[in-house]
Amino acid sequence: MMTIRLQIIVVVLMILSFVFIINLVRKKQIELKYALMWLIVGGIVLVMDCVPKLMDVLAAQLGIASPVNMLFFLGFCFSLVIIFILTIVVSRLSVRIKNLAQEIALYEKDE
Amino acid sequence: MSYNKSTMKKLIIIPAFNEEVNIERTVENIKKDAPGFDYVIINDCSTDSTRKICEEKGYRVVNLPINLGIGGAVQTGYKYALRHDYDVVVQVDGDGQHDPKYLEMMFDELCDKELDMVIGSRFIAKEGFQSSMIRRVGIIYFTKLIKLLTGVTITDPTSGLRMVNRKVIEMFVKDYPKDYPEPESVVAIIKRGCDVREIPVIMKQRQGGVSSISPFKSVYYMIKVTLAIVIEKIR
Repeated sequence: MMTIRLQIIVVVLMILSFVFIINLVRKKQIELKYALMWLIVGGIVLVMDCVPKLMDVLAAQLGIASPVNMLFFLGFCFSLVIIFILTIVVSRLSVRIKNLAQEIALYEKDE
Repeated sequence: MSYNKSTMKKLIIIPAFNEEVNIERTVENIKKDAPGFDYVIINDCSTDSTRKICEEKGYRVVNLPINLGIGGAVQTGYKYALRHDYDVVVQVDGDGQHDPKYLEMMFDELCDKELDMVIGSRFIAKEGFQSSMIRRVGIIYFTKLIKLLTGVTITDPTSGLRMVNRKVIEMFVKDYPKDYPEPESVVAIIKRGCDVREIPVIMKQRQGGVSSISPFKSVYYMIKVTLAIVIEKIR
């Protein structure tokens, strides 16, 4: 079981993370589109932290003995999804950069 | 499609990455042995004096602002060809392996047989530089794989010496593989109903510079190209 102390630490960390992410969005250093998924994760962690019963119920539903294991498992799955999405984004960007570079080179030649 | 050979505009694409040793001889050979062709050098952001040599000699050169690799460089040439309304494009590597005296022969073959692509193959006459043993094994493997998937025999699927018509130029402008493009792009156009044939050529061993495929990369190369070909087939 989580102690009150840990719950408070997690809440504080989450709030700091939110401030950090939103500040980056504000300064246009990350796009809201990509910040959004991290904010949603933060929201889920916050809810789980404030209502620990939820974790027990969810773990039981998924057939995982210990809620902590479930947390690791879900965290791992989520990380994979995000990394994969980033791979898609990188592929798309690299095609765009290639097209741009070709365009610039041909434009410069024909000037 | 009917061809009027005398009015067709023909372009040679010369992809060049760090080819300061070879580029001058390559271009001079082209001017001497393939006078009916225009050429354009695609300088793939070389770090040596390739660009300087080209500009001093007044060669026609397109300088890429970042290094794109062979696929991106060659595709730049196809885009150039489309914009300047060329009917036929042939790729000649900047390292002096390909002898421009074959270009007229390839052009005749392309027009007379109304083909979409003509490949210069080292392995029909089996003369000249035949590549290393290991690479030969790899090339035979790709020949077999392409035969299995398309029913067409391409004896030299990795040959960079390839001439294409307008139809294929347009296809390659839309989509061209990034690295190790040759086998994959051949399968792509065969699958779209293009007619591909080879003629025998003699290639020289590269005369300077470094080959783009190091031994370390060859395993990756085999796996990547195999997957690319299979995916191309089921696309």
